[in-house]
Amino acid sequence: MSKKKKLMAETELASAEIIHPAEDPKLRLLNVSYIYSKGTPFEMKALDSVSLDIHRGKLTGIIGHTGSGKSTMVQLFNGLTTPTSGKVLLDGEDIWAKPKEIGKIRFRVGLVMQYPEYQLFEETVSADIAFGPKNMGLSGEEIIERVNEAASFVGLPQNLMDQSPFDLSGGQKRRVAIAGIMAMRPEVLVLDEPAAGLDPQGRRAIFSGIKRYNRETGCTVIIVSHSMEDMAEFCDDVVVMAHSKVLMAGSRDEIFSHAEKLEEVGLDIPQITRLALMLEKEGITFPESLYTVGYATEAFAALFDLGEGGGV
Amino acid sequence: MKGFALGQYYPADSVIHRLDPRMKVIAAILYIVASFLCKNFFAFVLLVVSALFLTLVSKIPLKILLRSIRALIFIMIFTAVINIFWFTEPDAEPLLAWKFIKIYRGGLFNALFILVRILAMVIGTSIFLTYTTSPIALTDAIEHLLRPLAKIKVPVHEFAMMMTIALRFIPTIVEETDKIMSAQKARGADFTTGSLMSRAKALIPVIIPLFASAFRRAGELATAMECRCYHGGEGRTKLRILRYHVRDFVALFVIFLFVGGIIAINIFGAKYGWVYTM
Ligand SMILES: Nc1ncnc2c1ncn2[C@@H]1O[C@H](COP(=O)(O)OP(=O)(O)OP(=O)(O)O)[C@@H](O)[C@H]1O
Ligand SMILES: [Mg+2]
Repeated sequence: MSKKKKLMAETELASAEIIHPAEDPKLRLLNVSYIYSKGTPFEMKALDSVSLDIHRGKLTGIIGHTGSGKSTMVQLFNGLTTPTSGKVLLDGEDIWAKPKEIGKIRFRVGLVMQYPEYQLFEETVSADIAFGPKNMGLSGEEIIERVNEAASFVGLPQNLMDQSPFDLSGGQKRRVAIAGIMAMRPEVLVLDEPAAGLDPQGRRAIFSGIKRYNRETGCTVIIVSHSMEDMAEFCDDVVVMAHSKVLMAGSRDEIFSHAEKLEEVGLDIPQITRLALMLEKEGITFPESLYTVGYATEAFAALFDLGEGGGV
Repeated sequence: MKGFALGQYYPADSVIHRLDPRMKVIAAILYIVASFLCKNFFAFVLLVVSALFLTLVSKIPLKILLRSIRALIFIMIFTAVINIFWFTEPDAEPLLAWKFIKIYRGGLFNALFILVRILAMVIGTSIFLTYTTSPIALTDAIEHLLRPLAKIKVPVHEFAMMMTIALRFIPTIVEETDKIMSAQKARGADFTTGSLMSRAKALIPVIIPLFASAFRRAGELATAMECRCYHGGEGRTKLRILRYHVRDFVALFVIFLFVGGIIAINIFGAKYGWVYTM
């Protein structure tokens, strides 16, 4: 790149308007675009100059309709793909500054891909979970400790650890795959649709395991999901994507107070929020936006208390 | 990887794209035959002109076409060089002689001719078959053309079905390989550094899941086909019925004209002793 061009690119980056900015973001995307099959008739722009901050230590949910570019975005976070233009900053440093050392970035940002159960290959579950830590060059004891810790986060019972991963159920395979990344103890854990295709109980188990990981280790966690209800229940921050761009991002409260906007782009809002919106149309107001059943119960109780002057 | 997954087929709106695939298979065969028939300089000129003509008519960008040539560049140069050194003319003065190496004028021409011949064949077949014909249409055409063999109990339909399925799954498997490789890279697998042995070993985490899923897919597909009562080719009708149009016969006529032209040039060349024959 010529000096002039470089300067221009830098000023452009400086002028990027970051969505949901943070003082000290864990991850920052600066004007990131990604184009599949560039230079062929099948060219496809999957991300269109996205500038976004992921807050340190938070559990961030990414939602968006199918094909909105969620998977494309999360693969940029750990350097699996290189942005067509723009920069990905981890702790303020460009992850592609030293392309040779991208392997180190992949240990710091752990990515669980969509439908990860097909990546299992070892003879036993514990050996498969140990694959990542082994690649990091850890000692035997350390590996065993991490494998057990990761297995407990995702709720894998001890008696499964010596079975072949090919003999497990779909949900169990999913847990093994997630544990395989968790065992690397990445600073940022990214999960692409970790609960897709699981039953409600399986979903809850996986989500609460991930949340526990976030709270106990203090690591930044990013979850891609279709389910608004899960997002509403488990996430601190929410990023909404639509048509290769970030439509909005912010804390959970901020995002769900724009429930109507979410519906406009074809996303499902939690049923309880929809109910609250309907009631608001009828003239019943709530002090804050409702998105989980827990909050709603309290809010309704408070409402009835006021309405009927005490006991029900 | 992705470029390969999409195959070589290049969607465009050209006369060649619209030709019947059976006619294109025949045309490709005739074109190869023609390039082998070329015997003298003028015949080769006609061959080059025809290759340029095909490129223009097919609307395939030169850049894309060059890609298929690039894959064969080594073989082409190798054959050409071998030809330069191998050629001997007993009663001609060598252009260059150094120890046992002698290079003759005829050798240079020979190398050039062979280069042109390979180039023309690659361009001809890739334009007729790969760039303008989707793989599925191609299998369909081959099944049609080989149908007479079914009379002598060759399982033509089964072969065609196998080919169709294989073609159908190449992109899927390439995509899956990509995905599994990414997933293992995310777990710190390294496919690019280290000795040959360690790199081969690094592929184990890719190959095992790939095979597992290929077998699973094969099983699922077989079940799905059985559920829809697939029972082989007998009495089976086609969704897309191939029909010849006027343009197909025009194209065939042009090709025959071209082959005839080359034969005519050869005969004249032999009669009047045109130079640079091979
Ligand atoms: N390997 C690829 N080659 C070409 N185009 C692709 C590829 N992967 C994705 N795309 C395209 O990029 C766009 C964004 O895809 P992406 O996978 O990021 O969507 P997504 O938001 O993750 O969707 P989903 O919710 O279905 O997983 C889509 O329109 C898709 O067709
Ligand atoms: Mg996706």
